[in-house]
Amino acid sequence: MASYYFTIIGTLDRPLYELEFASFKNPTAQGVPGKSQFSASVKEILPFIANSSLDVVEDAQWNSNQFHLGKIDAFFGLQVNGYITQGNIKFLLCYETPTNANLALHAKQDDTTLKQFFNEVNDLYVKCLLNPFYSVNDAITSPDFDLRVKLIVRKYL
Amino acid sequence: MSEEEIILPSIASGVKSLTVNDRPMHEFGYNPSLGPHSNEITESSLNILLNRKTISLTPTSTHSIYDRNILGTKKHELSISSLSFLFGEVVSWSHRSSKGIQDLENRLNGLGYKIGQRTLELVKLRERFKNTKREIRLVEMLQFIHSTLWKALFGESANELERSQDINNEYMITDNCPLMAKFINIPKDYGNLNCSALTAGIIEGALDSAGFYAHVSAHSVPTDYMPQRTVFLIKVEEEVLIREDLRGGPMN
Amino acid sequence: MKVYAIYILNKAGGLIYQNDINPGLNKLSANDYLVLAGTIHGVHAIASKLKPTEFEPSSKPFGGEKEIPIESSATFSSSISVRDSTINNDVVNGRWNNPNTNNTGLRSIETDLFNVYVFQSLTGIKFILITSPNPIVHNVASLNLKINKGELNRQFDLAKEIFHNIYVTYSDYVMKDPFYSLEMPIKNNLFDSKIRELAK
Repeated sequence: MASYYFTIIGTLDRPLYELEFASFKNPTAQGVPGKSQFSASVKEILPFIANSSLDVVEDAQWNSNQFHLGKIDAFFGLQVNGYITQGNIKFLLCYETPTNANLALHAKQDDTTLKQFFNEVNDLYVKCLLNPFYSVNDAITSPDFDLRVKLIVRKYL
Repeated sequence: MSEEEIILPSIASGVKSLTVNDRPMHEFGYNPSLGPHSNEITESSLNILLNRKTISLTPTSTHSIYDRNILGTKKHELSISSLSFLFGEVVSWSHRSSKGIQDLENRLNGLGYKIGQRTLELVKLRERFKNTKREIRLVEMLQFIHSTLWKALFGESANELERSQDINNEYMITDNCPLMAKFINIPKDYGNLNCSALTAGIIEGALDSAGFYAHVSAHSVPTDYMPQRTVFLIKVEEEVLIREDLRGGPMN
Repeated sequence: MKVYAIYILNKAGGLIYQNDINPGLNKLSANDYLVLAGTIHGVHAIASKLKPTEFEPSSKPFGGEKEIPIESSATFSSSISVRDSTINNDVVNGRWNNPNTNNTGLRSIETDLFNVYVFQSLTGIKFILITSPNPIVHNVASLNLKINKGELNRQFDLAKEIFHNIYVTYSDYVMKDPFYSLEMPIKNNLFDSKIRELAK
């Protein structure tokens, strides 16, 4: 049961939305399924890891014409996957490097599942942006948005 | 607990910003003052997620845009009359609160800027079925605006897209009959005011948010048969051209 | 039919637009144009109160208009058609009428030298058209009334069509212009050029 940290980062490098969660697949008996299992020390540095990978994202931004940038960074066993919208909003997903046992599973997951996940979040983000009371680089506080992201998480990860 | 003010990572500019004491309703909703702790998955929110219970989180939950499909390729048409009346009202509203012609144009430009930011993302998302490319080159981005974005906004692509002969950071998009300002006649004492400043703002917003920083202005260049012909002058920032050079230069 | 001039009057009878499209009319002084506008406005208002005491639906030539021959003056003979405000003849003769019009009052003045047509919109804006006279009115009038009526109708319908187009152009290029304030003179190049196109 891998833990994930997902964040949306605006054009001014501020987080607009964050979410910690764990995979809903193969839940273990202990704890609430879906609740992240990051240790306290890791939890603390997650936003820093995400932000430190922004340099890599910004480099890839002008080299690749893909939305989904794939795995862009790794930091002490935490991997970072990136996605960037046309409007320069970055979606980052940090997760623990899988143990050997489910390495193969993750490799497969990387390409297709993550891409679908990011695409659906992009769809949600644009819907959020269409709200006249929301402007670019505002934090996304909508409970509806949060619920939909969690549903997507449950569906894909 | 310290009395110091907490530095918030990101503050909503909306109606009200959330504080450390605001707890999300039904365990949903991100609070930037609290970080990921605010919306972590708990027993009760998990229950909702697993059982897909429909809950009313906000007053608009039942008709939420999040449940609607915005990818539709169906054409939505709008009466040009209602558009003209609305735009006319926008112009006179801006006019009333403006200090001069330049100020009025800036206001219209500012209104368009937000439209540009939004339409860019929306149009790009809708285009995903045909084209999965992100625009990373200036010329391609301008072509995207000239054709795809223009089609989405005004039903047809703009008439011309050219590069200035003399100045290498200037591009021009020409529209022979700008839809928004179709019925607007500029009185003589208003000088070179052009109400398509709103459309210029849309272009600027789209270019800026895509990372092609530019300044866009609208200029009337009438001909005998096209009295409303408008040229949108796009002045691209130097840093964009430098980046273009570093990353392989312009495509043609 | 040649259109000499188009005038637009506001609710109060003030001249807010004047376009002498084709030459053919003597120029009046600016003040006289205002008087002319006010006069037509006044006659229009009085005419809408004028109504026949006897009402015979079958004998009406078109709509509820009643031809009132006027004594020939020294220079020209003329007839004025007046629309009755109180009798709804549309039901009687089944003739379709544009619902966007205010059908009362003076609608046309025909003389040997020119014709004047008046069209009032629902909001009280009056469009006035000055055209060339009916070509055969005075030749055929004494011989055959029937042909005369057909010719009258034709020119009247033509004027009606022009009014329709002017009304559309007015609604588009004047009413949708944020820089125009209601009831004020229309100074609009776009509108001018559209009107000129219309009258060709």
